[in-house]
Amino acid sequence: MFPNFRRDVSFPIVGAVILFAVLVAAGLTYQAIIGGSAERLVTAMLIDAIIVVGIQIYIGNTGILSFGHVGIGAIAGYAFAVFAIVPERKARVLPDAPFGLTDISFSPTVAVIIAIALALAVAVIAGLGLARSGAESGAVSATVITLALLFVTHEVATNWNKLTGGERAGLSFSIGTTLQGRVAIYVTLLLAIVVARLYAQSRSGRLAVAAREDNLAARAMGINPLVQQMAALLISAVIVAIGASLRVYELGTIVPNLFFFDYTMLTLVMLIVGGRNSVSGAVLGVVVITLGRELSRRLGTQGFEFFGIGLDEAPLDWVFREGLPRVFLGLAMVGFMIKRPIGLINDWELDEWLYNKFGRGSDPLPKALPEVGEMTPVKLRASDIDVKFGGFQALDGAGIEAESGQIVGVIGPNGAGKTTFVNVITGMVPPTSGTFSIDGKDVTAVPTFKLARAGLVRTFQNLRLFGGLTVRENVEVSALVAAEHRQGRVLPDVDAMVAEAGLWEHRDRRASELDYGNSRRLELARAAALAPSFLLLDEPTSGMSDTESVTMIEQVRHMAATVGAGVIVIDHDLAFITGISDTITVLDQGAVVMSGTPDEVQADPRVQAAYLGSAAIT
Amino acid sequence: MTELLQNLIDGLGRGSIYALLALGIAVIFGVMHLLNFAHGELITISGYAAYAMFQADFSWYVVAPAIVLVSIAASLVIEWVAFSRVRGASDFTLLLTSFGIHFLVSSVFILYVSASKKQFPRPGWVTNTFAVGDLSIEVFDAVVIGVTLVTLLATVALLQRTMFGLALRGAAEDFDTARLMGVKSNSVIRGAFALSGFLAGIAGIFWLMRAGNTAPSAGISPMLSGVIAALIGGMGSMRGAVLGGFVLGLAEVMLRSRLPDGIAPLTDGVVFLMIALLFIFRPQGLITVARAERV
Repeated sequence: MFPNFRRDVSFPIVGAVILFAVLVAAGLTYQAIIGGSAERLVTAMLIDAIIVVGIQIYIGNTGILSFGHVGIGAIAGYAFAVFAIVPERKARVLPDAPFGLTDISFSPTVAVIIAIALALAVAVIAGLGLARSGAESGAVSATVITLALLFVTHEVATNWNKLTGGERAGLSFSIGTTLQGRVAIYVTLLLAIVVARLYAQSRSGRLAVAAREDNLAARAMGINPLVQQMAALLISAVIVAIGASLRVYELGTIVPNLFFFDYTMLTLVMLIVGGRNSVSGAVLGVVVITLGRELSRRLGTQGFEFFGIGLDEAPLDWVFREGLPRVFLGLAMVGFMIKRPIGLINDWELDEWLYNKFGRGSDPLPKALPEVGEMTPVKLRASDIDVKFGGFQALDGAGIEAESGQIVGVIGPNGAGKTTFVNVITGMVPPTSGTFSIDGKDVTAVPTFKLARAGLVRTFQNLRLFGGLTVRENVEVSALVAAEHRQGRVLPDVDAMVAEAGLWEHRDRRASELDYGNSRRLELARAAALAPSFLLLDEPTSGMSDTESVTMIEQVRHMAATVGAGVIVIDHDLAFITGISDTITVLDQGAVVMSGTPDEVQADPRVQAAYLGSAAIT
Repeated sequence: MTELLQNLIDGLGRGSIYALLALGIAVIFGVMHLLNFAHGELITISGYAAYAMFQADFSWYVVAPAIVLVSIAASLVIEWVAFSRVRGASDFTLLLTSFGIHFLVSSVFILYVSASKKQFPRPGWVTNTFAVGDLSIEVFDAVVIGVTLVTLLATVALLQRTMFGLALRGAAEDFDTARLMGVKSNSVIRGAFALSGFLAGIAGIFWLMRAGNTAPSAGISPMLSGVIAALIGGMGSMRGAVLGGFVLGLAEVMLRSRLPDGIAPLTDGVVFLMIALLFIFRPQGLITVARAERV
């Protein structure tokens, strides 16, 4: 579950404890300076921090903007209040509660557990809906579904008076029965930060982040993003549910507007100002925004007095008015989106920094990977593949046979159907008819991620790396998938694979910072680290010079050999393909013209006709 | 049968306003892939402008055209201040920018006017009805439907017959190609915001006439309706947005008159739930705008 215990468990826990300690210390210091009046503010900040960290687990790791978490908070908050308020009190505030709830009460602990269960149930339903809509990073439709969750929750809370007390009265605890002391808040906050960091470092978190960076590439590497998004959603829902229950318990009351647009705005601003892709960022954002709001509130009510300057005719009276904190939030949101949408610290994490500085030890150049010898060959076979787009027949009985350990070239002039063919055998376009199998197992029309797990892994013509991840992390993602789905194959070491691709000196750089050649090599290493039976390269040398192409192909041959994979190369360059392939399949107008050795292909008049025009052979 | 016809007319009246709002949202989405959560603020701003004019004793005949002008101006200012600075940013950034503006505008009104509602007079004929057979038709609905039809026809003419319309439709289809073909991105985007503001202004007149008041949070409701309608139609499809507006209006009226008493107040919630379901089973909306996944 965690690739590297020291890096992924020990350090994150230490880092989380430090973050927690800094946050609490900041609050207590402020309280000591300002005095008792700051107590509630600090308590609110700590509770906000729990909820913001909870939301970060989803938004940060999946890249999907959610308005729905505050809706989940509302559901949990109401559940908590309904079950935790004592019957005598409930007889007053909810005399006609449905399902006989007026007489049912539990201890706050049990009520929180019920709140969590309910939040989870809602999250599962919402998550299935999100999955069905094909949610991915930044998807507008996904955000709208979460907005619907927030809005529907609010509508129900406003109108189902018998259960919620309606819009104005709401539900309130008797005086003196609300949360006393901060122990529960401290414990929850610490746990929330720990869980958030551990999740991000876990297998699921890493795969979710890969899908956040590039959904299609993640699927092509055998990841099913929807499963990881659901995991992130459920974990974040639990933390938000506890945080929301604490918020209600501490305030002693809940009304619909307690968890609606304003609170959504507050929590989102906190998250994005610090840096939504990092837990440290979420915590930082909570502190910055809490301070900013408090400052603007004081400026609004006390004007310049706050600084002890006390200008009688303050020239800024027109700004320093009540309601300033709201304007501050709006400005913070718009300002950061315009100037620095990644937030103050982007994806910087305290514990990662500590690990790189103190925990990593020496990092010797890994040993070269040996080429694996004879393995039982795996066969890939696609035959009679037809694809029709409306009336247009893009593929007409196309097919290919390949065997691991070999290099198979697929070639054809522009418009021959190469791209459609690649799309079919990578699961992106279902064939109208035909069969496709790997190692005797039928994989016709299975989704992309399953094809990758079955052993066919592709690279992309126009490079799709996980740009925000480091070089090493890119390869590590594949290794995580391989460890689960490619057992029985030779699984290469991550570091060795990075070194094999000539990227060792760049291992800690972001993939987005690499130059073109290195990016291509990283894509290759990432694909090979999946221990595939077949590597499918779509125009692997496009944009490269002839010498670069030769080096590249030598590297392809070697890296495929280290994991015992066969190679399928799609290209339009006849000379290039004949130079590297063991066998070649020639496509033209959607059909196979011929298959054979390079010599046979070069000698065949039909190939010359397809390439040079029929006039050339008469 | 009569009830159905009655629903149909009521639904068209309601749907007309939604269609105008949704079209404005779709126009913006087309040129910059922005789902504009701040669209409703054009009505909030116009509402306060109307309130100020009524304080100065102007009549609706003056206020109504002024609302349209204010709405266009506000749309252009918001574009200039904020959206022009996030062009080409990720969808995440665009969504949050517009959400932030929505919040900011309402906050400014809370800060400088008041958090409570400001009332102004409604024209006398708003609540009048006339009868056609068994049907009772609100004068207001008849006017709204008529004006909306004229506005939509004018918009269609603008989109189909002018160079600007061609540029806008081209940009909505494929912004980069449109730019390579010589469409000026600045002017087409500004034009889109002006058009969007104009449409919101027409919708705003009727919205404010019916409400008779404005408040800092007045933008939420038209924003949600417009967004939902645009989504029903399929984001980015202008025809779909108009269709979505009418579908939403009809759905609301039908639901309100048919849902059991206990649930009727939840109409908005039920509508939103249906949208979520639509999105879950048909994420591309009613009308599909084909966009191939590029590899």
